Order: sequence, then C-alpha cells, then structure tokens
Amino acid sequence: MVEDSANMKTESALAKLPKSPGFWKETWHRFRKRKMAMLALVYVILMAIVAIFSPAIVGTKPVIASYKGDIYFPCLGYYSPRWEAVFTKDKFRKVYPKNLKEKDPDSWAIWPLVFNDPHRRLEENEWPGRPKNPQNGPPSSDNFFGTDKGRVDVFAQVVHGTRTALLVGFVSMGIASLIGISMGAMAGFFGGWVDIIISRIIEVVMCIPTLILILALIAVIEQPEIWHMMIVIGVTGWTGIARLTRAEFLKLKQMEYVAAARVLGVPQFRIIYKYLLPNALAPVLVPITFGIAAAILIESGLSYLGFGAPPPNPSWGKLLQLGRQSYQNWWLILFPGLSIFVTVLAYNLIGEGLQEATDPRLREGGSRE
Amino acid sequence: MLSYLIRRIAIGAITLLLITFVIYGLIRNIPGTPLTVNMAESDPSKELSKERQEQLEAAYGLDKPWQKAYWIWLGNVFTGDLGTSFSHNKPVLELIADRLGPTLLLSIPSLFLAYVLSIPMGIYCSARSDHVDERVLSTILYMLYSFPSFVAALFLQLWLAVELEWFPLFQMTSDNFDELTTFEQVKDLAWHAAMPMTCYTYASLAYFSRFVRANLQEVLRQDYIRTARAKGLGPIRVLWHHGFRNTLIPLVTLIGLTLPSLLSGSVIIEQIFSWPGMGMQFFLAILERDYPTIMGLTLMFSFITLLSQLIADVLYAFVDPRVRLESK
Repeated sequence: MVEDSANMKTESALAKLPKSPGFWKETWHRFRKRKMAMLALVYVILMAIVAIFSPAIVGTKPVIASYKGDIYFPCLGYYSPRWEAVFTKDKFRKVYPKNLKEKDPDSWAIWPLVFNDPHRRLEENEWPGRPKNPQNGPPSSDNFFGTDKGRVDVFAQVVHGTRTALLVGFVSMGIASLIGISMGAMAGFFGGWVDIIISRIIEVVMCIPTLILILALIAVIEQPEIWHMMIVIGVTGWTGIARLTRAEFLKLKQMEYVAAARVLGVPQFRIIYKYLLPNALAPVLVPITFGIAAAILIESGLSYLGFGAPPPNPSWGKLLQLGRQSYQNWWLILFPGLSIFVTVLAYNLIGEGLQEATDPRLREGGSRE
Repeated sequence: MLSYLIRRIAIGAITLLLITFVIYGLIRNIPGTPLTVNMAESDPSKELSKERQEQLEAAYGLDKPWQKAYWIWLGNVFTGDLGTSFSHNKPVLELIADRLGPTLLLSIPSLFLAYVLSIPMGIYCSARSDHVDERVLSTILYMLYSFPSFVAALFLQLWLAVELEWFPLFQMTSDNFDELTTFEQVKDLAWHAAMPMTCYTYASLAYFSRFVRANLQEVLRQDYIRTARAKGLGPIRVLWHHGFRNTLIPLVTLIGLTLPSLLSGSVIIEQIFSWPGMGMQFFLAILERDYPTIMGLTLMFSFITLLSQLIADVLYAFVDPRVRLESK
C-alpha cells in the first residue's frame, strides 16, 4: 500500500515535470525569434498561396461557372486542359465571357480577380468595355506590369510564373535531397569502400561547373519539358546535402545510443532510418533551403538563356530575356527581376535562420552550456 | 607531406579522367552534330550530300563510337593537342587563349577589389556588432549577397546605360576602337568593363565580408580573447592582433578556392554584356556542338578546380601549424 502510493507520487511528480522540448520544437522555438526569417517564411507561404491560386488571381477562365445546368471550374484549365473539355467541345476557343452568355443565357460565372491571360493576348471587348492589350504597353490600370511585344499581359505572366518557380524549387530540391541524403547516409554510416566511392562521385559532380553540366544535360533531351529541367537541376544539386549528411552520420554513429542499438541487434537499415536520420535531418535542412533559392535562380537563368521550359509555361527568366531584346520596355525586366530577387532573398533568410537555430555554437548564452 | 601530395595528385587524376569521360559521353549524345547544326542554320538548301558528310565525319572522327573517340581524344591531350575547333577552324588552345584575356580583364580587378574592400568591412561589422550602422551595413550586404547577379546586370543596364546613358550597354570595345590612341583605348575598355565588373565584384564582396565577419565573431568567442581583454588590452589591439590574425587561416583557403572563378567567367553575365570571354565561348560551343572546344574548356575548368582545392588544403597546412597533412 505504502509503496504503491509512493509510486503514484513519483509518477504524478514526473507527469508534472515539464517535458523537455524535442530537437525540432527547440529549433522552431529559436527560429521563431528571428524576425527576418519569420517574415521570409510568411512571404514564402504567401507565394505558395499565390502560386496555387494563380488561375483564380489572374486569368480569363471563370473560377466557377454554371453552364447548361452544371457547375464547372474552367480556371483549372491552366493546370490541365481536361478541366475545360466541355468548353473546348462547345467551341469556346478560350474566350469565355461572350461565349458563356451566347451559348447559355442562364449561365453565371465567378471571374478571377484580374481579367487577363498569361499565355495569349487579350482582344478588344473580350471583357465588355475593355480595350485590347497594347503592344509593348507600359504599366497601366488594365495591365499592371505592362505588356510584351506579343501583347501578352506581364502581370499575368509574373503571377503564373510563381507556379513555375515554386515547382522548380521544391521538386528539384526534393530530388536532390533524396539523392543527397541517401548517398551521404550510406557514405557516413558504412565508411570504407562505400565512402571512398561516394566521395569520389561527389567530387566529380562538384568539379564540373553546374551550369555547364545542366546545359549539356538539357541539350541531350530532344524536347525538354519543365519536368526534365527539374530532374536535371535535382541530379546536379545534391552534393552539398550529401556532404553534410555524411558528416552528421560520421558524428552520430559514434554516439552511445547507436552502439546500444547495435548491441541489441537492431538491423542496420533500421539504425540508419530510425536512429540516425531524424537527428541528422535538421542541419541538412539548411543546404536544402539554400538549394531551393539556387534552383529558382538556375531555372530563371536557363530560361533567360533560352534553355528553359517550353511555352506555354510562363517563367520569370523568359520575361527577362524578352526585356533584354528591347531595353526601353523596362517593365519586362524590373518586375520579374524583383520577383526573383525577393524570392531568393526569402529562401536565403530562412536558410540562415535555420542555420542559426540548429547550430549549437550560436545559441544564446555562449558556446558552453 | 610528399606522400600526401602524391596520393592527392593520383586521386585528382582519376577524378579528372572520370569528369572528362562523363562530359564526352554527354556531349556526343546531344542530338545534332557540328556538321548538321551549322548547315541547318546557314541555309537548309546547302545541306551536305551524304558522301561529303561521311567524308567530313571521318575527318573529324565522328564516325567512331564515342567510347572509342574518347580514348583518341585523351591520347591527343597527352601529346598536348586539344584538337581543332569545328566552328572556328582554329586550334582549341588558341581559341581559349583568345578568350582568356577578356575574362581575366574582368575577374582579376573584381576579385582584388572584393578582397581589399571586404576585409575592412568585415572587421568593421564585427567591431560595431549590434550598433545601428553595423545593422544597416550588414543588411545591405545581405541584400547584395542575395541579389542574383544576372538580375543586377540587367538592372544596371536599364539604369546606367539606358536611362542615364553613362555607360555603354554592351560589348567590350566601341566600334571605332582601332582608330583610338592607346590612352583612349584603355579608357574605352575601362568604360565598357565598368558594369560587368561591378556585377562580379558586388557578389563576391558581399560573400567575402560576411565570411570575414562570421569567422571573426567565431574567434572573438574564444577564451584567449577574453584573456586578452582581461589583461587590459585595447579593443583595437584585441581585434587586430588577437582576433583578425586568426581569421586569416580560413581566408587564405578561400583565396585558393576562388581561383577557378578567375578563369571560368560567368556564362550569363558574359552573355548579357556580350563580353567575349570564356563563359560566352562555352555557351556558344554547346550551341554549335563544337566538341573539341567543349572538351578543352571542361578539361581546363576541372583541372583548375581540382588544383585549387589541393592548393587550398596545402595552404591550410602551411598557415596553420596545428594541421598536419598525412595520409591516413
């Protein structure tokens, strides 16, 4: 009886003790204190929202339309033409406002916030009372960021270009992280020959100037699509991640708890996966974040050089290229240029915030705790 | 030391072999050959007859599978022959030598400027840590560090060349360059080099000064700095004698690692300013499928990269007596 109550007491006392925060929670706690990094995080989240909802922000296709008794979401046609199959069949030719009224007087539609198209020019009265897009027009109330020489709205292209930038950043770095983390983990954990071979591969990839490797790889593909570009950026950008993962694994595998796991007979794969990886991941996030910024830069650089994704994918780099052909159209350079800059800056700030949040030497209270 | 060097050189040679092999395989698999690309561009009706094409392919060694052609190329490299450029009809070595000048004209002064300016800036930022002026300077440096250089190049062109018309928009020299006196020629070159040089400089300047500052702050956290302060040394003496001197070690390594960027140039910056340097040549060579030139440039870049890594490591051991280079 007495023993029981004593046990109960220690248990309740233990329960009352504040749980020591986990590594991730602590990192987040420290990251949150950095105002600029948090601001950058907010920007990146906002950009993701803009990217996802870009067809609802700028477009010529209704967000929701009621047509012949059914409800449609034609704006998703910017993602895949399947979503506007009905309208293609009814010969809308991508011009919605007039055709909707003509072919079904009872129809109604909710339009995107700004009526303009990232892929094609706007003709006269396409939207009741709106003039056609001017050629090389400066910024105006109809075309916030002006128009290019094909009379296509630049604002629409910049907004839809966020999708390309976001996708390239995340997908290519996803691929790079997958390769980098598994290569680095293997090299760090197994050591010996595996390490020597992987380290050589890393060295080879690092020694070839990135842009040259990417240009050569893209030139090999006959009709490159945006996916190819992401894969190419991914398979060339993993070396930094691999090196850091390797270093973390080399350090972590010496720890007592790993030795204990080995003695207990935990399979090697499980040690890598469950015991080492979660602890190695936080520092690895830093090169991944910087890598996203680099990937966005590479994508816009390639698009600028004319090696980018084929039309109709709008891209900030492509706008810059148009701008370089005729400098008097400054809006073709200024707006996409600023978008690239702010986005890269945001990812760099997040990366630095993470670096300082995960680096124990930089914690407040000095290096010795 | 010697055994370490031999080992490193051997590993480097293998790496170099691997790199050139991979790139050779890659470029030979790019659709189109130097013959077809050139012809299609100039005039479709001028397409070569089949016999003539085969004749030329045999002359250029394009009829052999790339694995075989690679070994022939490698053998030629060992005799000092990098081949002849397809599109320029000139030995690759000569072509590279032609392009080296313009690239060095930009890279050497900008790297020098970046170093000279970044060290005082980095020290200043450390010394005035957490003051308003340091915050402002650091923020500006961070912005510059994140500013993509090709975007900056286009912005500079818009502002300084188109809007204010202070600098020429692109190219390395004016059209009447040959008629100018030597003094005017130098002035003309400097005029044209100003904007691209700014683009090269600001990025490395921001990077280096952040590097100096980070290292200095790391050093300032050490015990011996506290001891120096406790002895009653003045802040300047602590910063310069005890602090900065110890940050020289990583700085020296950084010098080694920036060596390749001296020669490689930047594809995009050179393209924007129509600057006839190495980066531009590489870009053109890929477009023209000029295999010998691509290979020559790749060989040079990777050789210099590997060499600079080796130099950095050796320098590191040289300036820091705690580091010993030994083969494990």
